[in-house]
Amino acid sequence: MTGIRLAFNYLRIGIMNEFQYRANLYIQILQTFIALATGLIGLNLVFDQTSQLGGWGKADLLAVMGVFTMTGGFIRAAIQPNMERLMDEIREGTLDYALTKPADSQLLVSVREFRLWQMVDVVTGAIVLIVALVQLNWLISIWSVLGFFSALVLGAIMVYSFWLIITSTAFWFVRVNEIANLFEGLYAAGRWPVDIYPNWLRYGLTFLVPVAFAVTVPASAITGRLTLETWLGALALTLVLFIIARTVWMIGVRNYSGASA
Amino acid sequence: MKRYIDFYLTSMKMAVIEQWQYPIANYFYMIGMIAEPVIYMVVWSAVATQQGGMVGGYTPGAFAAYYIVWTLVRSMNVVFTPYGWEWRIRQGQLSMSLMRPIHPLHNDVAFFAGWKVVVIILWIPLALALTLFFKPDLHPTLLNGIVFFFAIWFAYLIRTMTLSLLGMVTFWTTRVSALFELYFAAELVLSGRLVPLSLMPEWVQRLAWFFPFRWAFGYPIEALIGNMSVNDLFIGLGMQLAWIIFGAVAVSLVWKVAIRRFSAVGG
Amino acid sequence: MPSVISISKLAKHYQVPEREAGLKAAAKGLFKRTYKTVKAVDGISFDIQPGEVVGFLGPNGAGKTTTLKMLSGLLHPTSGELSVLSYEPAKRNHDYLRQITLVMGNRNQLSWDLPALDSFDLQRAIYGIPTEEFKRTRDEFIELLDLKELVQKPVRNLSLGERMKMEIVGALLHKPKILFLDEPTLGLDVTMQKRIRSFIAEYNKRYGATVLLTSHYMADVEALCKRVIVIHHGQLLFDGDLTALVQKFSAFKTVAFDIDNPNQDFSQYGDVVSIDGLHVTLRVAKEKTSAVTTRLLSDLAVDDLTVEATPIEDVIESVFSVKKEAME
Repeated sequence: MTGIRLAFNYLRIGIMNEFQYRANLYIQILQTFIALATGLIGLNLVFDQTSQLGGWGKADLLAVMGVFTMTGGFIRAAIQPNMERLMDEIREGTLDYALTKPADSQLLVSVREFRLWQMVDVVTGAIVLIVALVQLNWLISIWSVLGFFSALVLGAIMVYSFWLIITSTAFWFVRVNEIANLFEGLYAAGRWPVDIYPNWLRYGLTFLVPVAFAVTVPASAITGRLTLETWLGALALTLVLFIIARTVWMIGVRNYSGASA
Repeated sequence: MKRYIDFYLTSMKMAVIEQWQYPIANYFYMIGMIAEPVIYMVVWSAVATQQGGMVGGYTPGAFAAYYIVWTLVRSMNVVFTPYGWEWRIRQGQLSMSLMRPIHPLHNDVAFFAGWKVVVIILWIPLALALTLFFKPDLHPTLLNGIVFFFAIWFAYLIRTMTLSLLGMVTFWTTRVSALFELYFAAELVLSGRLVPLSLMPEWVQRLAWFFPFRWAFGYPIEALIGNMSVNDLFIGLGMQLAWIIFGAVAVSLVWKVAIRRFSAVGG
Repeated sequence: MPSVISISKLAKHYQVPEREAGLKAAAKGLFKRTYKTVKAVDGISFDIQPGEVVGFLGPNGAGKTTTLKMLSGLLHPTSGELSVLSYEPAKRNHDYLRQITLVMGNRNQLSWDLPALDSFDLQRAIYGIPTEEFKRTRDEFIELLDLKELVQKPVRNLSLGERMKMEIVGALLHKPKILFLDEPTLGLDVTMQKRIRSFIAEYNKRYGATVLLTSHYMADVEALCKRVIVIHHGQLLFDGDLTALVQKFSAFKTVAFDIDNPNQDFSQYGDVVSIDGLHVTLRVAKEKTSAVTTRLLSDLAVDDLTVEATPIEDVIESVFSVKKEAME
């Protein structure tokens, strides 16, 4: 279990590091506030014109926004920084340091970085979600809550696996930074439930870029819309993606080590 | 005067040759940029369909037209980021451009203008693809097209001025994120980037007249998609020109003060 | 003949915030900032005549670059008078900028992705050089530096030395009357340094331009400058003939070697500068160097014998110390 202990150590250092940059906390709070404000403006503009969208009411969509903010915060705190650092290290050949430590390399490169202040979004998103649930009169059951948390975890693993696959292609292609930018743009689609998108977009956002699983599925769970089918589908897809990610990573590392003789 | 035209043409030519060597990087950027309007388009089309085919005067086809033209206008109004000024000052690039007998901002305007030529060319196949997919309702007249052509270049100039002014704040302090983020948030809402301004409440539309944002974004889009009277089209061009002149004056005044400060403190 | 560069009691002072380590000091620093004055340039004066090639010497942080920046208009002086070609550089008059050029070794003006020829054309547009004249000048410089094949290649594909040559050509296309060259041969190999030096000398000969050159390398100065100005700690230490300076202070060479038994008397060979473990450094009079090295090699069992010219810092230090003695 030295891998886990190492991971915790990195986390601790990462958090301590963040405390050095307290200015970043204030900037983050401002950014969260602005994102929330523009999100609410967008939501209100839509609901000035209609009372429901694809079967989702205003409070439902507020819940979606909450989940979107929470998940986004977590991705930017824990997943993205690690992947970006990995990209740089592959490109510059400094991945060696990570590969020569006495722990699983995939675990290591996935937990080294942690942007504590991005977690502000997780807190804010949770608050928005609770407000939305209040507006929905707390129509939640033990199943919707369990479904919600499990869907969040599955979604996070899926996004992580997806990012790792994309980043690992840096072992073979150089241009990965730009693909990362694309993901950011596509993630914004998660602000709205994928149900309202035309079919081709819905499939893309489910199977190509797992935005749907990161946001729509947990939001469906907490608002009581989730079917067992969908949940099982999420479970299956998570396993598949995770295995693919692990495989691509191992092949990539073998390739990298062989190349840098 | 002739020297300036010569400088602009030469710089633009160089920028075109340079950028033409990186079509893939340019395309990745443009595709990433397209995600945003496609999302807006899809959501508003869903709303329109929900409400029986039209919302705020826009059908799904009209929304498609708005947001597809959006992608060209957006490509045209992307300019040097205000965040880049800190880097530019620190790296010594500013010092080198100060040695030339030509105002350094001409370099920015000329270089990006050349880049825009490449952007327009690269945008065309993208626009065709989007048109096939989303079937926009677009029937511009010749006048619309001509006004639009001027409007997008004016939009480019307006945003060059406003973002240069923002960037110059860096001469006085490097703690600029808060200011920049607030600016961009206001711009998002008041420019017509988020939604066509006609879908905004009355008071917001009136407010938007006083800021440069809509003149660099919403107005050019609306000029092409054909809702405006001839009168309004020309008033719009006039407003754009007014903002350019106002911006240029503001920029040269602030620049003088900024350079004095820079020369006192050093690069 | 009126001087082309005229400086009188020029000074540049900076207010630098004082910062101490530790949390308490950082907290205090939030409310009250204490400043101290750094005198980068502390009252220097000199005049330069048209056509002179002057070497501007001094160790790092001596104030050379600051002075050059004031002369080119990038920095406003704190006090003193400064006039170049009858202009006040700080005003950055466009006509003034058209007659000068500033070349800083590590900063490039050329476009990375394009052949140098395209960047040259941009210079033509910026300075408004008439096309015929531009072509003549450009081709003349390309010929002088033997760049014909290289000007068509994208700048990113050139070596550091080739790039430097291109930068200098680009900087001179508008035939400036005054050249401010800040470490133009920094990081280049010996052959390249020689090429650039001879080019600058040729430019000066053909166009009668005035050149103010800063450098670390004594060789640059020896090759180009009759007159040197030495700056240290922002103050002028020496302004005069190079040959005098060279004769006086480059009269020694540094001989270094490794030896098993460093604890012996080396005084018959030269003055001991330092003994660092098994590594001995001696200062030997120039004319005696070959005799001394021959004897060292035959008398003692020495390893890795090197002979080097006195580094310029030592020359400066000598000048500095001489100045002090002369004052006492």
